[in-house]
Amino acid sequence: MSMNFSEFKKLIGADPLNREPETLRARQSSAEFEAAAAEAEAFEEKLQGALNIEAPTELLADIKAISRQAPKQRRWMPLAIAASMLIAVGAAGLVWKQSHQWDSVEAYVADHYSHDGSKLVAQADSPVPGQDVQRIMARLDAEADQKLLGRVTFIKFCPTPDGRGAHMVVSTDQGPMTIIFMPETQVDDGNRVEFEQMHALLVSLEHGSAAIIGEKSQNVENLVPLVRESIKPGFVGA
Amino acid sequence: MMTDTERTRRFNELAEAYSTDLYRYAMWKCGNDALAKDLVQETFLRAWRALDSLKDGAAAKSWLITILRREYARTFERKVPKFTDVDKVVVVDDDELEPDAQAEREVLRKGVLKLEPKYRDPLLLQVVFGHSCAEISEQLGISKSAVMTQLFRAREKLKAQLQKDGVTGNVHELF
Repeated sequence: MSMNFSEFKKLIGADPLNREPETLRARQSSAEFEAAAAEAEAFEEKLQGALNIEAPTELLADIKAISRQAPKQRRWMPLAIAASMLIAVGAAGLVWKQSHQWDSVEAYVADHYSHDGSKLVAQADSPVPGQDVQRIMARLDAEADQKLLGRVTFIKFCPTPDGRGAHMVVSTDQGPMTIIFMPETQVDDGNRVEFEQMHALLVSLEHGSAAIIGEKSQNVENLVPLVRESIKPGFVGA
Repeated sequence: MMTDTERTRRFNELAEAYSTDLYRYAMWKCGNDALAKDLVQETFLRAWRALDSLKDGAAAKSWLITILRREYARTFERKVPKFTDVDKVVVVDDDELEPDAQAEREVLRKGVLKLEPKYRDPLLLQVVFGHSCAEISEQLGISKSAVMTQLFRAREKLKAQLQKDGVTGNVHELF
């Protein structure tokens, strides 16, 4: 049974580019149907044009850099550890989801790290090419010097209380620690945060601030000189 | 089990094929360039870690969209962006349009961002990714008839917005 005009209008209103035989037959059945279909296509063209935004030119390079720095999921992880990690990640996900309006930088640091910080530390085990680190830092109008570059085992953009920042894992003689670089955020230098088994130290920088996060057995203060000396303002717009 | 080289090649192919559409989708979901970029990068980071679980290359697009949607729900749904910077993004061939057509696009972009998620989501899957109604139904876990209704209403709302803002041009109210 052929569709009536009302059914046809609803169909092309939902799926203007529908080319099924029944739709085409209905379209060709009268000038009224044809006009309605042409009008729906014209609107669709406008809609597609409106949504057709260009992706940032650097996006593809940033994505491809992931394969050079992030190890794949480990398959040999003992079941017990995997299970406990699953629980931890689940709990962290809950915390992350529940709060997203941070009352303070300290709350942000604890929330952000709980999201996936431990997992990233566990997985980051080989140095990230310096050029990849510098590309991300440049996007944040900053640069890292050689002392830091050689230690970064993971880096990605991350949300901060005031826009975009960088989440890094760095190797130290006490084991891996995390640095969250917040280019637009001011902190009370030396403030501390304790959460779960971790602690963090907030550091004011020439350009924004950073949080150094480690296990409670690690001395996060040891990393302060490196962070202060190594994260510098870069060329704006680089 | 893929070798590291195969893995990297496959990952890069996915990035080249889908990163632009995923960015567009993310951008129109959250209306914020920086958040959209983070969302897409996070999606590919998760994809890289789980690449071995993608057995069927034909399912890659839906797989990536699912990852992005989950990541969006997990990360951004409760963190409503403070602003939308859709006006700042580069839009293909906008400069070549007549002022009326530019105004229409502007209204449509703002209209899309104003749509309720239940209307916006199927519309984006259809317009950005070219999904069929059946594919949208599968992706969203709702019936095909519900998808059709939401798509129809989404377009109705956008057309009404164009009329309200007086930039209908040669687009007439169809229904």
